[in-house]
Amino acid sequence: MKDGNQIGVYICHCGTNIARTVDIQEVAGFARSLPGVAVVREYKYMCSDPGQALIKEDIKSERLTHVVVASCSPLMHEETFRGACEDAGLNRFLFQMSNIREQCSWVHHERSEATEKAKRLIAAAVRRVAQHRPLLRQEVPVRGEALVVGAGIAGIEAALRLADSGRHVYLVEKESSIGGHMARFDKTFPTLDCAACILTPKMVTVGQHPNITLLTLSAVEEVKGFVGNFHVKVHQHARYVTADCTGCGECEKVCPCVHPNDFDLLGSTRKAIYRSFPQAIPNAYVIEKRGVPMCEETCPIHTRTQGYVNLIAHGDFTGALKVIRDVNPFPASLGRVCHHPCEDRCQRGYHDESLAICALKRFVADREIELGLSPEPVRPEPNGRKVAVVGSGPAGLTGAYDLARKGYAITIFEKYGKPGGLMRTGIPPFRLPREILDREVAHVLAHGVELRLNTPLGESGVTIESLKEDGFDAILLALGTTKGRDLGIPGEHLVGVVNCLDYLREANLHDRAETGRRVAVVGGGNAAVDAARTALRHGAENVMILYRRTREEMPAIGAEIEAAKHEGVELHFLVNPVELRVGPSGRLNRVRCQKMRLGQPDEGGRRRPIPIDGEYVEFEIDQVILAISQLPDLDFLVKDKDFDLTKWATLRADPYTCETGKLGVFAAGDAVTGPSTVVEAMASGRQAATAVDLYLHGEDLDILRQESHRPQELPLMDHVRRPDLPRKPRARIPVNHGAGISFEEVERTFTREQAMEEAARCLVCGGCSDCRICSDACDREAIDHLMADTVHELDVGAIVVATGFEPYDVRKLPRYGYGRHDDVITALEFERMCHASGPTGGRITTKKGEAPKTVAILHCIGSRDESHLEYCSRVCCMYSLKFAHLVREHTGAEVYNFYIDIRAFGKGYEEFYKRLLREGVHFIRGKAAEVTAVAESPEEEGKLMVVAEDTLLGITRRVPAELVILSAGLAPRKDSSDVAHVFSLGCAQGGFFLEKHPKLAPVDTPTEGIFLAGACQGPKDIPDSVAQGSAAAAGALVLMDRGKVVLEPIRAVIREERCGGCKLCVASCPFGAVEYDAERSISRVVRELCHGCGTCAAGCPSGAATQENFEDTQILAEIEGALAV
Amino acid sequence: MISPGQKVYAYFPGCSLETTNKAYDSSTRNVAKVLGVEMVELADWNCCGATAYLSIDDGRAMVLSARNLALSEGQSRDLVTVCSGCYVVLHKANHRFQEDPQLRDRVREALKAGGMDYRGTVRVRHFLDVVVNDLGKEAIERHVVRRLEGLRVACYYGCQITRPYAEFDDAEFPESMDRLMGWLGATPVDFQLKTKCCSGMLMTTQQDVGLDAAGKLLREARRAGADCISTACPLCQVNLEAYQDKISDRAGADSHIPVLYFTQLLGTALGLGNRELALGDSLTRVEPMLAARLEAP
Amino acid sequence: MNATEARALTDEFLESVRATPGGEKIDQCLQCGTCSASCPSSRAMDYPPRAAIAALRAGMLDRVLASNTVWLCTSCYLCTVRCPAGIPFTDVMYQLKRLGIEKGYVRGRTNGVEMAKAFVEVVDRCGRSSEGELLRNYFWSTNPLRALAYLPLGWRLLRRGRIGVRPRRIAGIEGLRTMMAAMEKGRSR
Repeated sequence: MKDGNQIGVYICHCGTNIARTVDIQEVAGFARSLPGVAVVREYKYMCSDPGQALIKEDIKSERLTHVVVASCSPLMHEETFRGACEDAGLNRFLFQMSNIREQCSWVHHERSEATEKAKRLIAAAVRRVAQHRPLLRQEVPVRGEALVVGAGIAGIEAALRLADSGRHVYLVEKESSIGGHMARFDKTFPTLDCAACILTPKMVTVGQHPNITLLTLSAVEEVKGFVGNFHVKVHQHARYVTADCTGCGECEKVCPCVHPNDFDLLGSTRKAIYRSFPQAIPNAYVIEKRGVPMCEETCPIHTRTQGYVNLIAHGDFTGALKVIRDVNPFPASLGRVCHHPCEDRCQRGYHDESLAICALKRFVADREIELGLSPEPVRPEPNGRKVAVVGSGPAGLTGAYDLARKGYAITIFEKYGKPGGLMRTGIPPFRLPREILDREVAHVLAHGVELRLNTPLGESGVTIESLKEDGFDAILLALGTTKGRDLGIPGEHLVGVVNCLDYLREANLHDRAETGRRVAVVGGGNAAVDAARTALRHGAENVMILYRRTREEMPAIGAEIEAAKHEGVELHFLVNPVELRVGPSGRLNRVRCQKMRLGQPDEGGRRRPIPIDGEYVEFEIDQVILAISQLPDLDFLVKDKDFDLTKWATLRADPYTCETGKLGVFAAGDAVTGPSTVVEAMASGRQAATAVDLYLHGEDLDILRQESHRPQELPLMDHVRRPDLPRKPRARIPVNHGAGISFEEVERTFTREQAMEEAARCLVCGGCSDCRICSDACDREAIDHLMADTVHELDVGAIVVATGFEPYDVRKLPRYGYGRHDDVITALEFERMCHASGPTGGRITTKKGEAPKTVAILHCIGSRDESHLEYCSRVCCMYSLKFAHLVREHTGAEVYNFYIDIRAFGKGYEEFYKRLLREGVHFIRGKAAEVTAVAESPEEEGKLMVVAEDTLLGITRRVPAELVILSAGLAPRKDSSDVAHVFSLGCAQGGFFLEKHPKLAPVDTPTEGIFLAGACQGPKDIPDSVAQGSAAAAGALVLMDRGKVVLEPIRAVIREERCGGCKLCVASCPFGAVEYDAERSISRVVRELCHGCGTCAAGCPSGAATQENFEDTQILAEIEGALAV
Repeated sequence: MISPGQKVYAYFPGCSLETTNKAYDSSTRNVAKVLGVEMVELADWNCCGATAYLSIDDGRAMVLSARNLALSEGQSRDLVTVCSGCYVVLHKANHRFQEDPQLRDRVREALKAGGMDYRGTVRVRHFLDVVVNDLGKEAIERHVVRRLEGLRVACYYGCQITRPYAEFDDAEFPESMDRLMGWLGATPVDFQLKTKCCSGMLMTTQQDVGLDAAGKLLREARRAGADCISTACPLCQVNLEAYQDKISDRAGADSHIPVLYFTQLLGTALGLGNRELALGDSLTRVEPMLAARLEAP
Repeated sequence: MNATEARALTDEFLESVRATPGGEKIDQCLQCGTCSASCPSSRAMDYPPRAAIAALRAGMLDRVLASNTVWLCTSCYLCTVRCPAGIPFTDVMYQLKRLGIEKGYVRGRTNGVEMAKAFVEVVDRCGRSSEGELLRNYFWSTNPLRALAYLPLGWRLLRRGRIGVRPRRIAGIEGLRTMMAAMEKGRSR
């Protein structure tokens, strides 16, 4: 220990608090014996002025070098005594406080033990203080803005106080309106004034206050910095409605999407575009968008499926068609032939069956035809650019459709005599009637698109060069696949072997297809199935499909395979043709097949077929239709070296920008992607059209390369698990097997009623169906369905956290029957029931709509219960009394309150209780044990019975009640731990935020500059919440008015010479206060950010990180002192 | 999840399954066979102690339970019983063994005196828990050959299967048996008294109390529109089936309803015959009811 | 027994309750009555659970023991799982039953006790129990005539082979007895 130390030790009696159990004289005597101690004094109240005077005088007269005060906890008076030292000219950190009250006199009964302990504590302090060095405090400026988180009554109060004092306030609220729970209440206890009447004026002021920036639908994501200089990141979720909204409500009227109303509860509903309550601030509507639903996500052309489905449910068929045609010129055709991936992951499917989305699309399209209506083409001002589209299949037509709608002059060149590509040549009329196809192609052409038939790409038609010469600014190649792939087996070129595409083309274009008696179709795709069914219709007696895998792996649409089987097509699986043989007549009469089995899945995920050695099977046939795969015919094109082929013999084009090797020439569709479905080809055509448009506007095509986000399931809707109406199977034309199979279309369309009922099964898991008719209904044009979330970066000096509570979930106490009995409701539900603008318009009623004659109010539901909320929720007694009064007032019903104790502690509360007693409310002292509908006697039949012991009588009572209100306790918000993490707050009682001191600093937190207000700190009624709001505001103002804060020097320091640069401290610092200096490879502490928690010091392996006033020497000295005696 | 074929459990039948409730025993064993669950009867098991012994002598009661637990320890198998009484008593012994070190030492000393020991590693299970949670929906449905379509069942769990420990389901409103009945094609009715005590243990000693309690259950099951009551405890079973005449007279209301073990309903759905399930043992009209409700297999 | 003795008896008992895991919670009773209102047989009890705890607090354990309360407990644990204070009252009931017997509080031939005793006798002898023998002992020790009332039921059970005459004695019965004895010794120490 250093010499020349003059340590003063001051022992406090704290009245009798310490002196009662600690022998002060003995301790004092002991202290005098300690090395370095110059002065020892004891006094009744050391914290009093005379007490402090003692210290100050000694510092001067005795030239003290260090001071130890043995008294209460440093939390109480450390500041006091440090101040005293400073006043007397001694550095405030040459002081040490020794707690001989809380940790000694209060916890010991044995005087000798307490005295002994006091000695050791003082010895420890004396040794420690001798090691103390003077430290200097640092001052930093404080910003003038404040952040208030949570706009319930507490947050509103805090914000208004701050704003009124001229500070700028950012008020952040998670919901779409401010007001919190209070906005849902009808009356307030004990005065019974109307909640709205006293709350809404404050809300309006907030909305209009020049000093308040209101951020609704927002959450604080990150808080950096330190007292007086916080940097805050706020994520604001899009409202999809702009500030121009006047709240007229026209949008709400037209919105087809209905959801449970979680503001009004009691099974009431609201629209997807809604406003929680009439006095909402801001008074703008909001749209609930939960994300992109799977049906839209999985649709290759991203049709706003739920949009049209829900319009159908509401009978707006024209509107529905409009939604579809935004992206799809072929509703009627796709409604018939689409492989509808949209139906695969429909949320309704988790409940019973996914929606018949495809058939609904077809319904609206067919209805238009039925009514003889025809769609209006979009004809914008021509932009003077010409684009050539080669190929009139789904890809080409979609490309043309998109570009024409953007004002381009489009010419389509088609190889065959009729447009439609494989939609016409591949898909048979009994699946896609010709008039339907013609009509929809015509709609595309109606956009001013010119069509040149019988004009192939090649000498006989047009060439890339000729098109350029003809002044086309860009060329879109959508050549499709027209060649069949060979099997490459003996006998393949015999008469009677025909390629599927040729066969179907003949049949579909010219209605004459040479067909055998016994036909084998080789392959498992849609083309194979179509060919098989076509063959039946062209007189084949026996048609079989030979497929080398199994039914599961067949790429064809399931329903079509079923239809084929239904019509009598034989399916043979795990067989692979190896030879085609001629019979004695010299004509093809047998196909020899290798038997296969399934092996490991290939990269595509389909299990690879493997030959079974020596196992063969033969089929007797006279015609073979090969439908293995299809290829584009590119022989002409590839003469130009700018174009080349992929290893799959398809045309090479950039997968994102659709560019070919030749500038200005783009390619899409099956010719590029290989065989696909109609809708996939359309998607490809659209992608190319987008690229062409960008290209012709001279924009950078690379923006198309941004990876599209991963489709992700939306959270399941609550009602997914509820029983609901089952899916209706669609009507089908009965099929007569064998001969007379017609060319008439096989599938019929829904009736109006079927369609509307089917559409009504949609759960609208997207929240908003994105039909966008609200946009049309809004004459202020205030709705923006494409609005994006925003992130605000704020700099503030102080933060008030007022995030509130949530009612305890009474489902956790099933014995009270909530959810099983309609007339058991929660307190919050009752508040809404009483509320004039609530779901019942203020009528207190049973589910059946009758006014209850007896009402039971059950106190302490969830509260004061070890297995639920251990604490008393403080407000339930009083709001239950309020309920009792309202019930009496509104209905005159008999009211029974089941309580354990009535806690009426506030101003005017006891009087209110008395008033209720006078009003004739029944009070039964006993906690309700259960609510049951099981009658024990005839007069109990059909009634809800509340069972409780009347503990004052000592008998169990069964009280009938037509309405049961569960007075649920107040619980911490579910997200409280996340919030605590963001603001680095402590939690207690399962999530209520920890104040700095329960009595003396109720709104401060251990983190300087962050304050608490309202129920987030603990259950609270309105008066207390408001009081805390003001108090927190005052706390913040003190900081800001002072304009600067003094940072305690008790901070971490890293001694450079020792630092090994392991960065352990950087990683472990909870406040991001340690930064790494790369070039000198050492860590450094940012003093302003350091909270002096010591984590880094504890973790530092080289002992480079230490903490002022908590250095090893000091701590060791303290320990030695404690052990030395 | 191990395939049902590999499942092996130590089986503790309990005294009453040797005589009064032998139907519960046989139906359980046969059901297990069909489901590919091996139930190896615990060798030389003794009475669990039951509530009665616990009321007389705590320490000796602990020894009774502990001996059984000791017998099954080290086989790394769960100890499965179908008797809720045995279930809760053995469970309780296990819990106290963990919570009360002094008691644990005394019990272990006692066991050692008899050449045994228990370290507290055995997991006690109820067969309902095993069926619903270890096997589960798929495994059960795969074995159903005779769906109990249209059969309305009041699932009665009794008190001790989920209380006090609520080990595998809610203490007051469990769902396991209801779910199981659903898998079998039956319709579980909303039986609100599903865990209310039948007061079986008072039936001989304080009969009036017992009869009232049982009566409430029978009548509520009828009111809920059930064709039968499905039980998971031998004491409940006897208590509910044996006194229906008396109860009807006493209450002046017909309180008759068929009562059978959940294993018998499960077995029926698995295609087991009346003999294998000992349906004839019942004191209520179980067979006629099933015959009337279900079309012949 | 005078008030002082009763108080002493009560305090001694409360100590033993507090000594068991969870038992200490008995001091936290809110007197809310959930237990009584949940108990299937409280209506027949002289002291329903809540009242019983109140009596303990008042130092009147003797009255509780002398009452019909404890032997009406069906051990359904509803009070235990519902108690907001977490008091395992079913276990307390067991302790009361045992204390009642120990202190000879069982009024004459309390059915519950006799039944339990009969049960214990069979189990001690055979290691297992059997209803047949159990009932025989029970009615013998209580009132043989009451057995008549059970003959019809007995016959129906017998016809279905549901009444075992003698329980099979377990092989390890001797070992079991040794353990029981050892347990007794453990306690006395």
